[in-house]
Amino acid sequence: MALSFKNIAPFLITNQNKSSRWFSYLGLGIGVLLLLCSVQLYININQLMKERNPKKTNYDFISITKRITNDNMGQDHSFTLAEIEALKSQKFITNATPLIANKFIVSATGGQTLPFSTDIFLEAIDNDFIDTIPPSFIWKEGDNLVPIIVSSDYLELYNTVFAPSRDLPQISESTVGALMVQLECTGIFGTKIFKGNIVALSDRINSVIVPKNFLEWANRNIANLPSGNASRVYIKTADANNVDFLNYLQSKNYQVNKDKTRFGRVKQVLQAVVSGLGIFSILVILLAMMLFSFYLQLMIAKSKHNLQLLLTLGYSPQWLSNTVAKKWIPVYIAIIASALLTTALLQYFFQQSFLKGRDDLSPIVHWIVIAIAVLLAILCAAINHRLIKRLLYKL
Amino acid sequence: MQIEIQQIAPVFLEQEKISGSEIWNQLIAFQKGEYVQLIAPSGSGKTSFIHFLYGLRKDFSGNIFFNNKSLKTISSTQLSSIRAAKLSVVFQDLRLFTNHTAYENIFVKHQLQPFHPKNKIEEMAERLGIQNKLQQAAGKCSYGEQQRIAIIRALQQPFDFIVLDEPFSHLDEDNSKKAMQLIEEETQKRNAGIILADLEQVSFFNAQKILNL
Repeated sequence: MALSFKNIAPFLITNQNKSSRWFSYLGLGIGVLLLLCSVQLYININQLMKERNPKKTNYDFISITKRITNDNMGQDHSFTLAEIEALKSQKFITNATPLIANKFIVSATGGQTLPFSTDIFLEAIDNDFIDTIPPSFIWKEGDNLVPIIVSSDYLELYNTVFAPSRDLPQISESTVGALMVQLECTGIFGTKIFKGNIVALSDRINSVIVPKNFLEWANRNIANLPSGNASRVYIKTADANNVDFLNYLQSKNYQVNKDKTRFGRVKQVLQAVVSGLGIFSILVILLAMMLFSFYLQLMIAKSKHNLQLLLTLGYSPQWLSNTVAKKWIPVYIAIIASALLTTALLQYFFQQSFLKGRDDLSPIVHWIVIAIAVLLAILCAAINHRLIKRLLYKL
Repeated sequence: MQIEIQQIAPVFLEQEKISGSEIWNQLIAFQKGEYVQLIAPSGSGKTSFIHFLYGLRKDFSGNIFFNNKSLKTISSTQLSSIRAAKLSVVFQDLRLFTNHTAYENIFVKHQLQPFHPKNKIEEMAERLGIQNKLQQAAGKCSYGEQQRIAIIRALQQPFDFIVLDEPFSHLDEDNSKKAMQLIEEETQKRNAGIILADLEQVSFFNAQKILNL
């Protein structure tokens, strides 16, 4: 007959201090439920925010400007080379480059297909910072054709606001490349006319981009001016929602496109709240474990005489500690499994109630949550086994 | 199993009590199957010797070996298996679970490593005249009944030696003889040895060796 806890149960005083045992079970259950829910929430937030995050590569690209206020209006708001170098030296900024602008007047004419004429601006930036660069985005001195990359927002504005108001034809993304515009560049050295061809649309850069060498040439040869300091700087960063990064920009009074970081900020706040909840739940678990350890200590203290006698009769301390510790393993497993099941049900009902039919969020709990539950069960069993072993070997 | 005692002496005992002893500071070997009586007047360290032998106390000089393994360095698990299968004991203070029934007290030893089937408990209780006390709390039994419970408990396991510390101190001669007879029968079944410690010689114990403590 294999010996089990049942054989020695009559000699252990387990029915005393029942309330502290039940409180510790309840505390453990609540703590584990809170922890699993907060981990699942954290994962949910990340999954839900991912779709709306402007980040499409491993990096975020963000344009910054100097904030113009009533006090500094009219002053120079361009970035000096030193300021750009200072930006580059920050550990949370991978790279920074200025957006240089035209120093001459540019007007664009649509020709017969698009009979309109408007003054525009041109900007240029290092190719590394542009998200869509077709092979045709090159210009060399003497070329009359200038490739242009336009923000996709501009095309949307043209199609939805500008074209209907002027009775102009709407243009699809696929046909925009076929259009030719005439660029009339006027400066101190007179007027030069180029053909402009929109070769790509950019989701990243909110501007009209031409090759950098063209703009530098044109500034020199049309306006007789160096390209000079830029008013806008593009930043390449691993995480535009990094708190240090945002705090740095704020301390320098640089203005950032809030739209690009709005979800990040919301996410940040939510993650902070959920993390706080997670920490609180760990504290609850620790308190519950402590309460349970007090119960165990009291039980062993009350059963000390009997346990000593069992050891004297030939029961091994190792067998006794293993057997007593094993007695509570099904209890931990039941508590943690209930908490996991509740988390799974909450996740399912949350998904079904608010996001039914959408694949943004899975109705099933994440594997990390399950792994944490398993880990907690092992941890609880191991801690209590160690405690019981220590107490019994001390007898 | 062989028990070998090498010059052991309690660290707390007066030198004059140690010097005249046939056990303290002597080299003695107890062989399996051997019946030994220790005659020990009060205060000579009889119970201490039993406790040393059973591994309950280590406040002695010298060494005790179980099959050449020193009792002082043996692990708690090894000591437990010796107590469960090699060395049985009846303590002078009996060491019963006083709030539990006589049967529970015996069965807790039986279930650890049974030598007999379970029904042997009732048979032994009947032979020693405590069959009506089996379901009574041990603490409620007389000291003589408690001694018989402790003796039956000690006979539930396999052993190479049984150590008895004044096992019949509260039994009349008739009951003492019955108990001794049962112990000797059970010892023979195991081809085991008996080490019986008492204040004076026990006439109905067929000791092969008598040692004065």
